[in-house]
Parts: sequence; C-alpha cells; structure tokens
Amino acid sequence: MKKRNLVWILLLAVLFLASPLFAQAKAEAKPEGPIKIVYWRSLTGVAGEAQDDVVKRFNESRSDIIVEAEFQGAYAEILQKMTAAIAADDVPDVVLLDSPHMPIFAKNAALVDLGQYVKDEPKGFLDDYIPGLLADGYYHGTLYALPAMRSTPLLYVNGDMLAAAGLPRRAPATWDELREWGKKLTKINAKGELEQSAVGLTTGLTTAHWYFQGAVYAFGGLVSDEDFGIHLTDAPAMELAQLWQDMVFKDRSAIPSNSHDDFFNKKVAMVFGSTGSMGNVYSRADFQVIPAFLPGQKQNLVPVGGAVIAMPKTGDKWKQWAAWEFLKYFTGTESQAYLARKTGYMPNSYSASKNAELVAYYNANPQWKVAIDQLNYVRPQASVISLPKGTAILQQMVEKLIIANRDVKTVMEETTADLLKEYKDNY
Amino acid sequence: MARLVFGKKRPSWFIGRTFTHLILIFFTLAVGLPFFWMLTTALKSPVEVATFPPIWWPKTIKWDNFSKAWSTAPFGRFYINSFITAITGVLLEVSIAALSAYAFACIRFKYRDFFFLVMLAALMIPSQIALIPNYVILSKLKWINTYKGIVIPYVSSVFGTFLLRQYFLSVPSSLYEAAEIDGLSHFKTLTYIALPLAKPVLGTLILYIFIGKWNNYLWPLIVTTKQRMRTLPVGLAMVRDAEYAIGPEHLMAAAIFVLVPVLIVYFFSQRKLIEAIAAGAVKG
Amino acid sequence: MSSQSRPPIEPLPKFKRNPMTRRAKRDAITFALFTFPNFLLLTVFVFWPIFYSLFLSFFKWDMIAPKKRFIGLENYRVMFSDPVFWLVTKNTLILSLWVVVVKLAISLSLALVMNRDLRGRSFYQAIIFSPTFTTSVAVAMVWRWILEPDYGLLRVFMRPFGIAPINWIESTTHSLPAVIIVLIWVGIGYDMVIFLAGLKNIPPELYDAGLVDGVNPVQEFFYITFPLLSPTTFFLTITGFISALKSFDIIRILTDGGPLNTSNVLVLFLYENAFRWFKTGYASALALLLFVIIMAITLVQNRLSKRWVHY
Repeated sequence: MKKRNLVWILLLAVLFLASPLFAQAKAEAKPEGPIKIVYWRSLTGVAGEAQDDVVKRFNESRSDIIVEAEFQGAYAEILQKMTAAIAADDVPDVVLLDSPHMPIFAKNAALVDLGQYVKDEPKGFLDDYIPGLLADGYYHGTLYALPAMRSTPLLYVNGDMLAAAGLPRRAPATWDELREWGKKLTKINAKGELEQSAVGLTTGLTTAHWYFQGAVYAFGGLVSDEDFGIHLTDAPAMELAQLWQDMVFKDRSAIPSNSHDDFFNKKVAMVFGSTGSMGNVYSRADFQVIPAFLPGQKQNLVPVGGAVIAMPKTGDKWKQWAAWEFLKYFTGTESQAYLARKTGYMPNSYSASKNAELVAYYNANPQWKVAIDQLNYVRPQASVISLPKGTAILQQMVEKLIIANRDVKTVMEETTADLLKEYKDNY
Repeated sequence: MARLVFGKKRPSWFIGRTFTHLILIFFTLAVGLPFFWMLTTALKSPVEVATFPPIWWPKTIKWDNFSKAWSTAPFGRFYINSFITAITGVLLEVSIAALSAYAFACIRFKYRDFFFLVMLAALMIPSQIALIPNYVILSKLKWINTYKGIVIPYVSSVFGTFLLRQYFLSVPSSLYEAAEIDGLSHFKTLTYIALPLAKPVLGTLILYIFIGKWNNYLWPLIVTTKQRMRTLPVGLAMVRDAEYAIGPEHLMAAAIFVLVPVLIVYFFSQRKLIEAIAAGAVKG
Repeated sequence: MSSQSRPPIEPLPKFKRNPMTRRAKRDAITFALFTFPNFLLLTVFVFWPIFYSLFLSFFKWDMIAPKKRFIGLENYRVMFSDPVFWLVTKNTLILSLWVVVVKLAISLSLALVMNRDLRGRSFYQAIIFSPTFTTSVAVAMVWRWILEPDYGLLRVFMRPFGIAPINWIESTTHSLPAVIIVLIWVGIGYDMVIFLAGLKNIPPELYDAGLVDGVNPVQEFFYITFPLLSPTTFFLTITGFISALKSFDIIRILTDGGPLNTSNVLVLFLYENAFRWFKTGYASALALLLFVIIMAITLVQNRLSKRWVHY
C-alpha cells in the first residue's frame, strides 16, 4: 500500500513539474522584477535592425519591462507561425501582422481588445494616428491593432544604367513608357542570351501579389473587392497580365526575379521594392538609386501594405499591460519618426510626420520623400489576401504568366476559380 | 597463390590504374567542390561574388562575412539549442534502445517475438505521417517550443534496438548465465556486462544518431515557432528567407556555422561510420 | 493425501512449475519495464498517429477552430480531383525513379572501379561518402548558389560546351532536374559503400573459376558480379526509392517546390497544406496516402526479395 502511495505521489510530482499551468499560476499583484514579454517581428535587414533599435531604446527607458524581439520571417510566415502558436496555446505578447491578416485572428478571438486600454489613456489618444491607417486596426468596430510600419510599393531605378542607355535619369511615368525604354535597356548577345534587361518582375512567394495588385490598380482595375468578387478577368487585369507576359517573352525586357540580387548585379535596371526596403537598397547598391512611384497607366494608385501591431491573448494580465506599454511606445511619435527615417516606412501619425528630425532628414534627402508623397495615392489591398492560401494562389498566377508563359485568359480564369474555392473553404 | 591471382583479377580489371584514379578524382572533385565553393564564397567580397568567370580564391579574405552572418540571427542560441536537443536526444534514445534490446535479447518472455515484430512494424511507417498528429498531441501537452517537444517524439528506437539486440545475442550466452548465477539483476547485467561489451557498436550508434538529430530539419521546423527555441538547420533556413538583406557570401558563411560540428565529427569518425554502414550494421 | 478419492493431478504440475512461474513472472515484469519506454513512445508518436490521421482525414479543420467539421470522404475526393496533387505525385515518382537509377549506375561503377588495392582509396571514399552525413539544409543552400544562372559554379562547367546559362531554380522545366541532380549528389556515396561491401562478399574463387573458363571481363561482370550483387542492388533500389519518396529538406530549401509546383513532391505538399495553409484534414489524407504507398512497396519488397534475387 505504502509503495503504491509513493508511486502516486511521484506521478503527481511529475505531472506538477511537467504542467506549465502551475508554473504560470497568475498573481493579481504586479510581479516582482521586470516583466518579460516577447515581440514577433517581421522584415529583415535595415527594417529589422531599426525595429531592434526601437526595442532596445524601450528596454533602456524602462526598468520594469523587458521586450525580447524575435524575427519570424515574412508576413505570410508570421501568419503561419501565429496560427500554429494559437493551436499550441503559446502565443507571443506582441505581434507585427500584415494588415489583411489581422481579421483572421480577430475573428478567432485571439487578439486583445485594445479599447480597454485606450479608455485609460488621455482623451484624444487615438486622434493623432492618421485615420486611414488606424482604420485597418478595427474589426467589426473593435480596435485590435495599431498602425505600424506602413509601406507602399515602389519602383527602384538604377540611374547609371538608364544614362548609359541614353535615357533620362528618372523613372518611367507609365507602363507604356517603361516598355518603350525596355527596347534600349535590353541587351541580347550574339548567342541569343539575355545579358541585360529592363525590369525584374517579382515572383517572391510573399510579395508577388502586392506588385501585381499595384500594376492592376495603375491600369484602373482591382484584384478583388470587399465582398470577394474577383476581378481578374476584367479588362484592366487582363491587359496588364498580357503586357507583363509580352515584356518577358516577346520583348525580353522583363525577367521574373525573386530577389533583389538581379538589381544589385545590374542585370536589370529597375526592380519593384517596398518603401520599407529603401534602407536596404541604399546600403547594398553601388550605383545611383532612384526610388520612384510604380509606373502609372490610367492612374497612380497603389495598395497600401505593411503592418499593424497587435496583442495576442495570453491571459496574463500583467504581460498584457506590459505589451500595451510597448505598443504605445512602438507606435509613438519618436519611434515612428525614427523608423521612417531609417527605413523609408511611412510615419503613422500626424505628430510623427511633423517630427522636426524627420522633416529635416527628408529635406536633406529628398528621394526619401517619395514614401510620403505616395501616401496620397493609396487604397487598401485586395480582400483575397486575407485567405490563408490567397497570397500563394496569386503568386502562382504570376508564375503562370511570366515563367510558364500560359495563355492569359486561361490563367486568369483558373486563378479566379482557385480564389473562389479558397474563399468557400473558409467562409 | 589464390590471393595473387585474386589480386590481378579484381573486378576493375579492364581499367588501368591511372584511368581508375582519373575517374575517382573526377567524382571526388564533383562531390568535394561544392564544399570548397561554399568556403571560398564565404570569404569573398560582394564584388568578387558577382563575377563571372568566378574567382577561385579571394584576393583579400573577408573574415567579417562571418561576423555579419553571425549577427543576422542568434546563432549562439541556435548552437546551444542544437547541442542540447541532439545530446539529450542521443542519451535518451540510446538508453531506451539498450533497455529494450536487452529485453529482447536476454529476458525470457512468452510473447517476446510477437512484441519484437510489432516493434519492427514501426520501421515501415514513414515518420511524415505523424507530423500533424504529433503536433496536435504536443500542443495539448503544451510542449510546443520546448526542448522536450523537439526531443521526445523521436527518441523511440527501433533501429537502435535491432542493432544492439544483434550485438547482445552475439555475446556468448555463458556470460549471461554466469551473471545470472551470481545473482545479478537484469539491470546490472545490462550495465556491467552487456553494454561494456557492446562499446564499439555503441560508439558508432551514438555518432550516427547524433548526426541524424543534428541535421534534422522538418520536425524542429514545425515544433518551434519561437526564435529562441530554433535549432541550427531551422535558424539557417530562416536566414535564407531574409535574402533581401544579405548576400550569398553571408549565407555561405552561415551554412558553414551549421556544417562545422558535423564535419568535425565526420572527419574523426568517418572510417568507423563507413565500416559500420558497409557491414550492414547501419541502415540509411 | 492418498485418501482422497480423486488423484490430485491438477495441483501437482502446478507445484512443479511454481518456482519457474515466479521467475517467469519476474522476468515478464522486467521485460515490461525494460521495453515500456520504447513501446510507450512508439505507441503515442508512431502507431497512434496512423489512426489519428485516418480520423482527421474525414474532417475539415484549420487547427485553431475549436470544432472539427465532419465531411466524410470529401478530402479524398478533393485530393483525387486536384490537378496539383497529381502533378505532385507524378513529380515524386519521376524524381524517385531518376534518383534511384542514376545513383545506382554511378555508385556501382565507382564501386567496381574502386574495388582493388588503391592508393588514396579511403580518401576518395571519405569525400564521396561525406554528403550522407552533412546537414541537408546547408547543402541545399550551397547548391542553390551553385545553380545560380549568372554567377553559379555550374555555369563554369557548362560554358565550354556552349550551353547557355540555365535558370534552374526558376524554370518550370529545370527545377525538378535540379532537385534530382542534388539528390543524386547526396546519395551516391552511401550506395557506393554498400556496393563495395557487397563486392567484398563475392568469393574470389568464383573469379578464379571464370579465369580458367576464359571469360572476358564483360562476361565476367554479367555472369558473376552482377547476379551475385543482386541482393545488394535490390536492397538499395527499395530503400533508395522509399527515401526518395520521402524527400523534403533539400527540396524545401532548393526550390520550395516551385515554380508552379513543378518540383513539388508529396511530403512538401503535405507540409504546405498542413502548416502553411492549415488544411489539416486534407493534409492528413495525403499523409495516409503516403503511408499506404510506402507500406505497399515494403510488402512487395518482402515478397519479391525471395523470388527475384539470385543468391
């Protein structure tokens, strides 16, 4: 009998040790010592380092909170990691989400309602944020996220290559002009090998859809509307798709490209990139870089990308409090002005865009102002991006067009069908 | 005499010695060159990297590629994680294998053969089928992002059990009988007699399992969602995804971080590992 | 005792067996204790997942929703009507066949050539064998760089033959060959070592007999070496095929299955569905299919190894 008791006690002890429930036993009183919270960030290179800087400054300014920043990959990967983390009930305290992804988690009640914290802040706390950006943080009227690291797609141009081809040192204004320039920029050697091309069209797993959207907007169309109506078979999208395909296979003035290496190696004179990549591009290029609007056609309009910052529900009151403190700091004037200055991301608030240091910096480096200027020509991203497979389906579409050279109409119809199926799968 | 004839007549008869060497040098280069290419790229400047025809050895060696690569991700942490999970994994797996191998080899039990077959059946099951169920189990246990989550699902051992059992069976049974007469418990017989005798095969088994765990990518990729828990291969793949920010020279430098421990282990033990595999002792 | 009417037949053997039984019991308990950890882990992490996968494959579930929705055989219907699934299956089979056949041919030739007293033999062997044990993630990254169309190492060796630069990774026609090349590169060392061991096991007397009979080297290979190697060849074919079916690491890093799934394979497709898009039920159906395929191959192997292999 005694032995058996001992066994039970041992078993219980093992369970006790193994169970994190006991380890996390929550105290209502503020815990002793600093509260440690985890922040999942996206973005790499300069944009990543700048975030780490902000975290470091925050940690230096606070003795009661320690934030640990963790790189989690591109936005689409954060979506995956967050889903996995919710399934495992092991979420971070703060997370940077691509704005279309926020509703997925809000819908599953996985995010903290920020309203409860906002009401304890001074009146008018939210008024400083640029309303168009703040709007992305709401889901069904509840505030779940604050705007941070907002960006738009740009065209980065190698001025030296343009000059060498006898072209002006500026970006092409329209896709037509870009195509025209392509004739001068494309170099094919005697063996028929392509030595130099005009533009790299992004096929990256997590970014291809964004630039495609931007180009479709320029043609006066859209990829999908709020009610998940798919508009890929409409004239603007078809026209654009045909243009890309022709540039790759007929003119050979465009190539599929899944990193910026082709741009840095001067294989292409132009490449798509986020405003947020500006810091990176300048640090790696050894030629004149001209950041510019994406080419227009019927209009200048781009999908506003970038992230919102949110707090997953951890159930730990004090960690959530600490997370809110960090959220305020991260989206605050000083941090946002710093981030904008370092990376090219856009300031998210009126006070940040009026920040003296930032204004001075923009005046000294006028090319960086393009990020701000483009803010006047933005609209939200396509609704289909919020589907788990949405970005993947659009990326495949781009591959079908400019790698596999498949018939445009068939591709657009297939993609429409795939997106609708994915929509039905999720709603 | 026979040996002499044999020496002349091994199956590579019709090819001359020089030609043989040429073929082997060709394949050795084909296999070895990627490793060299990795090293030389890791030491180049960005300009040298983007040069064709390539530069085989950089003019000035850029050691700071390594420090840049090291700072792109917490590689120190990844190293610690990899060592902890690989070493505890090896210890657990080998202990579990030794215990059950001994049971199957030396303990009389009516249904022993039946259970042995059941265990061997596990060899046929591809581990990929378990990815989702194991993820669900571990998330219920709250083992995601823990060392035990990385280690425990993969320390059951069929192959190691099989291998050690063969070895235990090859030990003269008089030794076990003597132990039994001396009144040694099974556990003591295992630790004082069977295992010391199995030292050579045990060493190879440990290395083999260690390398396997060190290289493992798929499971740690799934079961770690937090950076501080990642192992080296997973961390390295993450760095690759950051390719907008770093050049090939940094990627290769990072790859070298991951390979160095394996190459060291391999360098010192390749003879044994190859022998073991050749002897059919170790199945790939 | 003797006065009892019925002879106590029953208890007697029991009495005799008793000391044995006690030991047998103790042995049984020790046996259970010794094998318990292994069987516990095997049950939870290897056997149980088969049934759980089967269960999940009848549901629609995204892993975070609290409820799974029963949809019967829908996942299987979707699977068999999904062109991507068929493409992926085709890729997997093509890849496995190419990898196995080319690997066997090269490694057998190498083993034949190397099977003699040779200076530097163990050096050659150590290098050629090394990819067996090197981290596949790192190896795949090196290869990605080698296959880079403009500055990659491979271009150096293609140029003298006038071959234009190939964008292996981003080409719908070349991405699968690229994966196959790397998998062959990784695998020849292992096969070679096994073949060498197989060659060692051929008794030299057989060749002596051949010498007397005056066979030429080619005949010798086809009449003596190859038939006697057949168990080794068979073993390598089957294990090679199964491990090729399960390829993941290299492909995930090298091409990530792209472009347009032209280099996607079953395990990667399973991973994408399970952990990228959280189509847990569908991915479970894929897992089960993989299990059935590998089971079938293993069973066929058991049958055939008795019939086809000449000893």
